[in-house]
Amino acid sequence: MPFTNTKIRIVTAAALFDGHDAAINIMRRILQAKGAEIIHLGHNRSVHEIVECAIEEDANAIAITSYQGGHLEFFKYMKDLLDESGCGHIKIFGGGGGTILPAEIEELQQYGITRIYSPDDGRMMGLEGMIEDVINKAGQASPTLQGGILESAERMPFPLGEVYDIRLIARAITLAEQVENYSHLVDRLKANASKPLKSEIPRSTGGGASDAVAILGITGTGGAGKSSVTDEIVRRFLNSYSDKTIAVISVDPSKKKTGGALLGDRIRMNAISSSRAYMRSLATRQSDFALSKYVQDAIDICKAAGYDFIIVESAGVGQSDASILDYVDVSMYVMTPEYGAPSQLEKINMLDYADVICINKFDKAGALDALHDVRKQYKRNHELWEAKDDELPVVGTIAAQFNDAGINELFERLMETVAKKTGVNFNGEIEHHAHLKDTTDNSTIIPPRRVRYLSEIAETISGYNTWAEEQAAIATKLYQLGGVIKMLDEK
Amino acid sequence: MQTDELKKKYDELKMQLHPDVWQLMEQWSGLLKEYESDFFEFDVRGKKIKQDLVYRSLSGTRISKVYLPKYKDWGDILKWQLQENVPGEFPFTAGVFPLKREGEDPTRMFAGEGSPERTNRRFHYVSVGQPAKRLSTAFDSVTLYGEDPAPRPDIYGKVGNSGVSIATVDDAKKLYSGFDLCDAKTSVSMTINGPAPMLLAFFMNAAIDQQCEKYIIENGLSEAVNKAIESKWDIESLPKYTGEDGKKINPVKGNFDGHLPGGNNGLGLRLLGLSGRDVLPAEVYKKIKAHALATVRGTVQADILKEDQAQNTCIFSTEFALKLMGDVQEYFIKNKVQNFYSVSISGYHIAEAGANPITQLSFTLANGFTYVEYYLSRGMHIDDFAPNLSFFFSNGMDPEYSVIGRVARKIWAKAMKYKYKANERSQKLKYHIQTSGRSLHAQEIDFNDIRTTLQALYAIYDNCSSLHTNAYDEAITTPTEESVRRAMAIQLIINRELGTAKNENPNQGAFLIEELTDLVEAAVLAEFERLSERGGVLGAMERMYQRNKIQEESLYYETLKHTGEYPIIGVNTFLNKKGSPTILPSEVIRSTTAEKDNQIEAVTLFQQRHKDRAADMLQRLQQVAVSNGNLFEELMETVQYCTLGQITNALYNVGGKYRRNM
Repeated sequence: MPFTNTKIRIVTAAALFDGHDAAINIMRRILQAKGAEIIHLGHNRSVHEIVECAIEEDANAIAITSYQGGHLEFFKYMKDLLDESGCGHIKIFGGGGGTILPAEIEELQQYGITRIYSPDDGRMMGLEGMIEDVINKAGQASPTLQGGILESAERMPFPLGEVYDIRLIARAITLAEQVENYSHLVDRLKANASKPLKSEIPRSTGGGASDAVAILGITGTGGAGKSSVTDEIVRRFLNSYSDKTIAVISVDPSKKKTGGALLGDRIRMNAISSSRAYMRSLATRQSDFALSKYVQDAIDICKAAGYDFIIVESAGVGQSDASILDYVDVSMYVMTPEYGAPSQLEKINMLDYADVICINKFDKAGALDALHDVRKQYKRNHELWEAKDDELPVVGTIAAQFNDAGINELFERLMETVAKKTGVNFNGEIEHHAHLKDTTDNSTIIPPRRVRYLSEIAETISGYNTWAEEQAAIATKLYQLGGVIKMLDEK
Repeated sequence: MQTDELKKKYDELKMQLHPDVWQLMEQWSGLLKEYESDFFEFDVRGKKIKQDLVYRSLSGTRISKVYLPKYKDWGDILKWQLQENVPGEFPFTAGVFPLKREGEDPTRMFAGEGSPERTNRRFHYVSVGQPAKRLSTAFDSVTLYGEDPAPRPDIYGKVGNSGVSIATVDDAKKLYSGFDLCDAKTSVSMTINGPAPMLLAFFMNAAIDQQCEKYIIENGLSEAVNKAIESKWDIESLPKYTGEDGKKINPVKGNFDGHLPGGNNGLGLRLLGLSGRDVLPAEVYKKIKAHALATVRGTVQADILKEDQAQNTCIFSTEFALKLMGDVQEYFIKNKVQNFYSVSISGYHIAEAGANPITQLSFTLANGFTYVEYYLSRGMHIDDFAPNLSFFFSNGMDPEYSVIGRVARKIWAKAMKYKYKANERSQKLKYHIQTSGRSLHAQEIDFNDIRTTLQALYAIYDNCSSLHTNAYDEAITTPTEESVRRAMAIQLIINRELGTAKNENPNQGAFLIEELTDLVEAAVLAEFERLSERGGVLGAMERMYQRNKIQEESLYYETLKHTGEYPIIGVNTFLNKKGSPTILPSEVIRSTTAEKDNQIEAVTLFQQRHKDRAADMLQRLQQVAVSNGNLFEELMETVQYCTLGQITNALYNVGGKYRRNM
């Protein structure tokens, strides 16, 4: 059933204060192989985080493993929070090996948890059987798409203290993906957006939908750390502008063979749980594309809802892809110093078009060479022969490093570019200053000259062993000679 | 004529030998004699120790603790000296000390459940009559992730389950009350990683305040101190201790009314809610603190690298977590904390996550060398910190487990001596080993003790520094007193009854062991090269190399177990008439509502008591982080006014949260 319009979407995670993620990792792989779209959150996730994710992602179900006890409270609280949020239609599945006793399974299922699987279930149904059971039951969950959510929206306040109605946003995007009409939801969102934000968040610029929205596109090679960079930008945005809201639309590829997808960006996002932030993961639902067909819809819906800043993150596909440019005001290309020979840079389309280029993982060997090469390429592409190096929008960053000076510079550059290109000025003037020096100097746990330490140790030990053999061989000869000399002397 | 030429050749060859090597060869006959004696004398940190070298069996056979090879060929002897040697001599393959310590069974007392009071009772119960108090502490998952107990349901349910709930310095004082933490016979191990620096600061403060209490009593200051306390504090507002009967008492005046568990003399409770420095002159407090730090004995796990690779209790960004570890080590050096291991570099969790023994050993040693490199890069001297490092391995059934300790010791020693130019003390790798939890099964659980016995034998033959034997029912529940007693008996039976275990180097000279030692050493070095190709341990972690490898190995084991190619008796073969079904526990030990509520109340009251100072202290802590000062030094102060959760959240803002990956 690859690439159908309706997909089962499931949020997977391990419970709060629980690092046991082996089982859920196996489950999520099989779920994906069976064609589901998986939003995987990893280990140690609170009920609030999981429920917020499930609502924002318009998931059919949540699948949780819990091995650290406290499962009765955990699962019941999750059910309560979903119900309170008007999202009782989202099914809950769980498992915890032998730590969840049969009587407790009974109690949880009575309470409204769809199914808790026991080790005996595992033996009788097999892994595949369990997963099929999850998918069947999750599929039944799909409520009447039109009525249900709008009805809860009428009855119940915005869930989880979020500043906009994330239920409607999420459902509108789902309808778009299913090629169904969602205008009634947008009308409702627009009506909400014209109201002031919740009292504790005063709007400084009058607010209102879509008149002052900027859209940033982030693209780059797979493994360059796009999500980490995005998370760091979201964090700085939320910290810098306490009255602004932000939405992230993140695209990951669907698998051609199964139609399933692993929507893995959310796991790295620490800043997204803010009530002023929304995130939606989209699968491409077509192969060999970096973006979903419904990105424009998702952007429009977020605009209508009233978000001030929207980030679109594309799946990392190939060097020639620049499709994100069609949707955004400002674009950024994320890469690492590990691209091979400088001639490779000539093939990267985004180096022609990106407003800002981020060289992440700047602690890697050859980072300064990369900065030099990329700048040179940028000058060539833009015919900026006279430009000074540090005026070029090429920034080295280490997103993995807390409060990285490079990311600070990157953020300032981006806000500056947004202001310049769109006229959207979130909060006064943003200046940028070069932080390059700080970034490289403070960043390393193991100094680059010591990075081969394990090889050196291996060499030292092998060297010792060889030496020991050689010395022993000499000692043997001495022993033999000594013996012969003794025999001759005795004669 | 002929002989002269041969003699010339002999002298030439001799010149090719390293002088140290010639010396080793010359010492051989003396060494043989030394080990023929009935006693053995050696130095431990300047102290002369004389121990028996001989055991006589019932039949009168003389069993020596250490046997040397009967080789004749100098090459064979030399090779043995260079690669094996007697216990206590480089490369320490057979052990880091000449002989095992006498009179102290390497038995640890494990506890960790519910409130600090309950775990304290358990500690006293299990250590009754034991001269050495070796307390191992398991913390609940709320504590493991650096948060405070709270009524929010997803937190509440976990308070005090599968470990003890510790959120404040007062909780730590209750937890270890009645054990003199600075006594040479007490040693405490804490299984905590992400928030290890905070828990360690709780512990150190508890130890210091105990010594202050002792000072007060020994100098007849009790009356005066009581008066001072009453004049400065409202006694009722100070924290309470909950007795076994559920009654809350106020321990500050030293009046315990028989509410303490047997064996607990109340040491550590008289200053509950206070610090020694509140009641003693500054100079006196400073002296007591310095002495306490220099004598306190124990281990904190604090191994953040294996957390990211296998166990997932990371809370801070890896870089910040490493900085915290470095700060702890720097503080240890500065304050001469010499009897405490600042990290327990752990392969156990890597093995539990499914790694095979070679991967366990390679990743763990590689992690150890990563700490070494990081501490060196911060300017610490190798010999100042290497003795503070310890290791922790898992022992399963695979053949490689029979040599895991000896390979670890020889690799560490060679690298320390030749790569890092470290002194002899730094060359000695000490490790705790625990029988494999993963090898315990929920079917035919009686068979588990058999597995544990064999694994314990591997460990004891391999001269482990300390050993924990799992209880057979751990696969299904929290072990009972009966099962823990049996597990302890396994060690005692091997150590005291088994004749061959009277000898301390039974593995040396066995062809199989020698071959395995060489193979495993080579395999570890090959893995070092693979890690190195990926940029070392940290570079490999970024690509999730370790995590993926562990997962693949886990899957391989599961597959073979499933198909039956890897036989497990009573699990996939030799099933009983009923098919050896999974055993379910009849009951599960969980913390009570009263215990949870007490912990929540205690943390709330702590925060209220210190609300005037807490914000300041947290800001000071953040400032130290921003200005790159020593965070542990500051934490020693912060914990007197702030709870675990307050500190963790304050540090998130200056150090960054852990970012998950996949």
